[in-house]
Amino acid sequence: MPDSSLEPLAILALDAGRILMEAGASASSIEELVEKVALGLGAESTELRIGYASLALTVFQDGHGITRMRRVGHIGVNMRLAQEVSRFAGRVAAREISIDKARTELDRLAAATPRYPPWIAAIAVGIACAAFGQLLDGDWYGAGPIFIASTAGQYFRHTLLAHRVNVYLCVTVISLFSCVIGGLGALWLGSQAITTATIASVLFLVPGVPAVNAQTDILEGHPTLGNARAVNVLMTLIFMAAGIWVAPMLLNFGR
Amino acid sequence: MELLPVLEKALFGGIAAAGFGVLFNVTPRLLIWCGAAGALTLAVRTLCQQLGVNFEGASFAAAFAVSAAWHLLQSRKDISSVALHVVGCIPMVPGSFAARAILGLFAVSTGRTENSPQTLVAALEYTLRLIFTVGAIGTGLAIPGLLKRVRRTP
Repeated sequence: MPDSSLEPLAILALDAGRILMEAGASASSIEELVEKVALGLGAESTELRIGYASLALTVFQDGHGITRMRRVGHIGVNMRLAQEVSRFAGRVAAREISIDKARTELDRLAAATPRYPPWIAAIAVGIACAAFGQLLDGDWYGAGPIFIASTAGQYFRHTLLAHRVNVYLCVTVISLFSCVIGGLGALWLGSQAITTATIASVLFLVPGVPAVNAQTDILEGHPTLGNARAVNVLMTLIFMAAGIWVAPMLLNFGR
Repeated sequence: MELLPVLEKALFGGIAAAGFGVLFNVTPRLLIWCGAAGALTLAVRTLCQQLGVNFEGASFAAAFAVSAAWHLLQSRKDISSVALHVVGCIPMVPGSFAARAILGLFAVSTGRTENSPQTLVAALEYTLRLIFTVGAIGTGLAIPGLLKRVRRTP
């Protein structure tokens, strides 16, 4: 197979891997998926390098090989998209679809996989954080303020990210915003666990999936990516704590 | 062994995991499984703590249990294609330790804290507990998958 025939194959396999990575998958899942897609489209073997900001793939066929690279965008968590891309890879591996149809299908998945409306996601986050408050032994007086603070915070975060505000700056602003609402609400309702209410209000900002992925990647033989994820987690936590730190000073409601 | 605290933690763990399932865009049909995963982790962790296991060890056992359960259900295609075991562990990620640790370090760095040594020790304690707990969760989640690969290798 000449290099020109390998080109769309390599790019398609890379794009599938990139979408999966941006959807929050671990390195081994990405490696497995890219290999499955490339072999399903006719490659003999593959070599993949997974970085935090890019993927590089070499595909081999009939003694020829080409290497291509793709930039990875913002890494979030989108499990429905990850699920759809995994199913897509299964169909490609079973050689059920041609490369042209596979390209159309992948583009459709990336553009059209549905998401929950932002207000539903915000309410779900509010409920989750109120449950966190109870797991942290908070009292029931704090549950309402935690729900309101984290619901409003998540909706605000969605709005800021839609306006392409820097992710870390966004974390500090939302942390401050949710802390103020959660802390003041708990204080006003007479909660005895104001610190717990304040912290529970911002727990939706803790990057749990990247923290778990960082470790999984290191354990499964991808220390570079794992370390990059760990640094990102640490930076997010520092920016989150900065918001929590500023909130009481701003309102002087006492520490 | 007290059953009520176990059920209480399992309930709130399930609610938290299902809520995060929505944020992570898990399909509505699988949200119940997210809730079940969260309930399982919190139930196992609380049970282990009641049996005298420390917080980090209990977190490891809970992560291992939910990961093993997820791997056992791999024959169900809908479940196997979504990292439900990771969503189930989200309620155990010690975000409050992280916040308290960094806040403590901030407080020490200002030099205005009256009890700096105590604040520093508390911050260090939260930092270590955060590291060990996250380590325990990540390791507990990964081990069943690694064991499965060992079994598959001829």
